[in-house]
Amino acid sequence: MGKIFSKAVSASLAGASAALLALAVSSNVASAQSTEVTAATTHKSDKYHPGVWLDPDGCEHWVMDDGVEGYGTNRLTRQGLPVCHDVNVCGVMNTDQLFATDSHRVSASGKNRLRSFFQSANAFGYTIVGHTDSRASDEYNMRLSYNRANSVAAIGNSVGARIIDVRGYGERMPVASNGSAAGMQQNRRVEILCFK
Amino acid sequence: MKTIKSSVLVLAIASLSACGYGHKVDKTVDRGYDSKGLSQLKAGILVNPDGCDTWLIDDGVEGYWMNRLDRYGKPVCSGRAAPGTVVGEFKRGSDPI
Repeated sequence: MGKIFSKAVSASLAGASAALLALAVSSNVASAQSTEVTAATTHKSDKYHPGVWLDPDGCEHWVMDDGVEGYGTNRLTRQGLPVCHDVNVCGVMNTDQLFATDSHRVSASGKNRLRSFFQSANAFGYTIVGHTDSRASDEYNMRLSYNRANSVAAIGNSVGARIIDVRGYGERMPVASNGSAAGMQQNRRVEILCFK
Repeated sequence: MKTIKSSVLVLAIASLSACGYGHKVDKTVDRGYDSKGLSQLKAGILVNPDGCDTWLIDDGVEGYWMNRLDRYGKPVCSGRAAPGTVVGEFKRGSDPI
């Protein structure tokens, strides 16, 4: 046991002195070439497996504690979108129940529903995001979804809700396939993101 | 001059190792008096000079600072507080530094 311990210690000491030596060499030799840089930046002896911290909105972050230093960064997909769980999507309204086809005027029953939603949701602020299915042109859908999101935001404003942002993504962020009527209906929606 | 600098560096590293701040294998846990998984970190919100929210965590020796993004990747600029101020309990480490 003692032998194993001392071996490990001497190995790490050797590693440390090698690292110091490398530091000394690279600081003295001004023309450190790219091959040396690659060798120096790959820490073969160390494995870096960050953990995941879930923020209060439900989005993931990579975090790592390296002893005295702490590191953290947002976890993103390769498309650049945060990896989030459905924690703060507090309201998804199917737009069929709020708007007539191609209209961005909220129906009377829709207004009542939205008013009571904003009065009971109890968040600090809201971001309103409109979406459509894939019928009609992309440009038309971008405009329609934004107009619809603005109509929903105006109702929130009217009952004192703080609106953080209003956006329309048209048909670009589907949650279901546009290949079926049921899928298209799911995609026609206004999302209300709640921020505590 | 250079020799003095290097010996200071070596001493600094040696003293750190003596305190137990040497090689650390598991980077998903905090080390020290309040050893715990990093998933339990508590964040406050620091409003940056642009007026947008960032998650701020003080875990004792370590500090973390990460963007608050919505699910579409846009910064959340909630207007929670004035730029340059913090809201919420973020100093949950055993030894706030």
